[in-house]
Amino acid sequence: MSRTLEKLTILSGAAKYDASCSSSGSKRANHNKGLGNSDGMGICHSYTEDGRCVSLLKILFTNHCIYDCAYCVSRRSNDVRRAAFTVEEVVDLTINFYRRNYIEGLFLSSGIFKSADYTMERLVRVAKTLRQQHNFNGYIHLKAIPGASPELLHEAGLYSDRLSVNIEIPSEVSLKKVAPEKNYPDIITPMNYLSDEKDRYKDEKKHIRKTPLFLPAGQSTQLIVGASPESDLQILNLADGLYKQQRLKRVYYSGYVPIATDNRVPVLKAPPLVRENRVYQADWLLRFYHFSVDEIVSEAHPNLDLEVDPKVSYALRHPEKFPVDINKADYEMILRVPGIGVKSAMKIVKSRVHQRLNLDHLQRMGVALKRARFFITCPGSQYQHKDYEAGRLRQMILSSESVARQTPQLSLFG
Amino acid sequence: MSLYLYDGSFDGLLTAIFECFADRCEPIDIVNEEIYQASLLEDLRPVQTDTTKAERVIKGIDARSDGVGGELVYQLFLSELAGIELRIYRLVRLLVRQNDPNILENFANPDVLYSAQVKKMISREVHRMHAFVRFQKADNDIYYAVISPDFNVIPLIGDHFQRRYADQPWVIFDTRRHYGLYYDVNNLSFIDASSDILSFATVNAAVNSSLDGLEDQYQQLWKQYFQSVTIQERRNIKLHLRHMPRRYWKYLIEKQVGRK
Repeated sequence: MSRTLEKLTILSGAAKYDASCSSSGSKRANHNKGLGNSDGMGICHSYTEDGRCVSLLKILFTNHCIYDCAYCVSRRSNDVRRAAFTVEEVVDLTINFYRRNYIEGLFLSSGIFKSADYTMERLVRVAKTLRQQHNFNGYIHLKAIPGASPELLHEAGLYSDRLSVNIEIPSEVSLKKVAPEKNYPDIITPMNYLSDEKDRYKDEKKHIRKTPLFLPAGQSTQLIVGASPESDLQILNLADGLYKQQRLKRVYYSGYVPIATDNRVPVLKAPPLVRENRVYQADWLLRFYHFSVDEIVSEAHPNLDLEVDPKVSYALRHPEKFPVDINKADYEMILRVPGIGVKSAMKIVKSRVHQRLNLDHLQRMGVALKRARFFITCPGSQYQHKDYEAGRLRQMILSSESVARQTPQLSLFG
Repeated sequence: MSLYLYDGSFDGLLTAIFECFADRCEPIDIVNEEIYQASLLEDLRPVQTDTTKAERVIKGIDARSDGVGGELVYQLFLSELAGIELRIYRLVRLLVRQNDPNILENFANPDVLYSAQVKKMISREVHRMHAFVRFQKADNDIYYAVISPDFNVIPLIGDHFQRRYADQPWVIFDTRRHYGLYYDVNNLSFIDASSDILSFATVNAAVNSSLDGLEDQYQQLWKQYFQSVTIQERRNIKLHLRHMPRRYWKYLIEKQVGRK
């Protein structure tokens, strides 16, 4: 027990820098009185004191690593305590945490020990044991180790719900500097392979109903923000390409936590949390608000505004598109109004069929009028946008929102 | 104008709504007779619960709402919010008058908006129970969890846990409302504090003694895990509390400190 406790301490501590937390998007029904059931909805079972959700048992299989990536706490040259689980230990922890409703499943990553295949084989064996010997239907997220053989990746796709290869450094030039043993082709090759395999299974499923699940929750990756000099434009273009070409389900962004005293990476006083938050907001605009990258950042404005969110920033740069008439504009344009989210936009479009909407209705429906009021017209709104030039409007928006509310993470570091 | 008294059950409320329509009467209020405070001024109309009438009301609601109204009304009822009965009556009245299922999407209507908001509160509480229930394995091999949710969500969470934990016996007990769920690996049933299978004392005892031999070990492992995944450089207690309000802590193993 004390040995397991020690391993868990070391190997969860080393895995925590992976921002991926999702347990959603996979349907895996419980048959024949097995253990566990995934119905597509993710569940966050707990929240750490840094406010991030705990959904999966997120651990490394081992933190022994043959690589020496400057941004990574487990790099070969770092003097830390090392440990490695056995397959049985990981299976036992997963099952027993799951039975007590602590977790939705397992997130298993690993340092590279011996070789890519040797490592990948261990991860696959954990997933296979859970599925086959324990009839486990909870969520399994495995790391796809760069350079692992297609056969192992294929098997991993059969037993897990999601696979991820982390890019970490958002350009190949920078990657070469901080992680000399890594390269982009090794990362992109498994992504492409898995994406093609998933398509193949999907096609097969159309003809053969009993086709097994293959990676039902797709792939994700992570980009570190602030460990290398890339602009937000470069980061968002990379993410956009990954969503479109590799059809990733999620790109996670991790504000670089200065864990290393390695001179290949910058020395930061604190992680760039505001910037990380802005990149996530921009990512949301890409995925749920039908924005394109060049509407959010451009060569002229390659970085996101840290003071206002990217939607406000867009609206200020495009005065010709506003104000938006709440009772007439189409859904797409209502979605672009700062302060109106996907849910409010749906409510507006559905309700205005029955009656004309006024400002009071919008407020009750949950629209953030503090921001929205500058960009809309409807009965009851005092539209004054014309009277202000963008700079003045920006000041009004800034002063009407407390900084703490707008970017909660600031309050501790401001 | 009458004040309708019902027995506090869902069928009772539906019967009362039935009577309102039968009487062609706008109720002043519909009140659970157990909490009703007598007043001489009101025209009281006690209602005898009648499952046939209740069923007719539910069928009527479903017929006018593409089948979603019945479940919605039930969830509103489980909120136990003060005055929810009259709100439900008004929603039913709206459905009957408009006879248009889409009316439930007119969020500019105050009754529709209120129902949507309460439904969201209920769904959030159900989701929190899916997340925050913590089972402890007792030496009789049953997994026990104790909860005290803000709303009466026990009837809404059984399916989820039954599907998930199909191969283990478990109990989820609401200590505020003194009843719960018992799943014996075959059937799911309601139990109350006087249940033969499990008395309330048993549920409590499971927390203090007669735990499975390995239970403490897994709790320690979970606590340790919870500690070591926090990134100190990113500590943000405000955010932590927003996601995990203090009132839920008492049943969360990872938030219990001290016991080693």
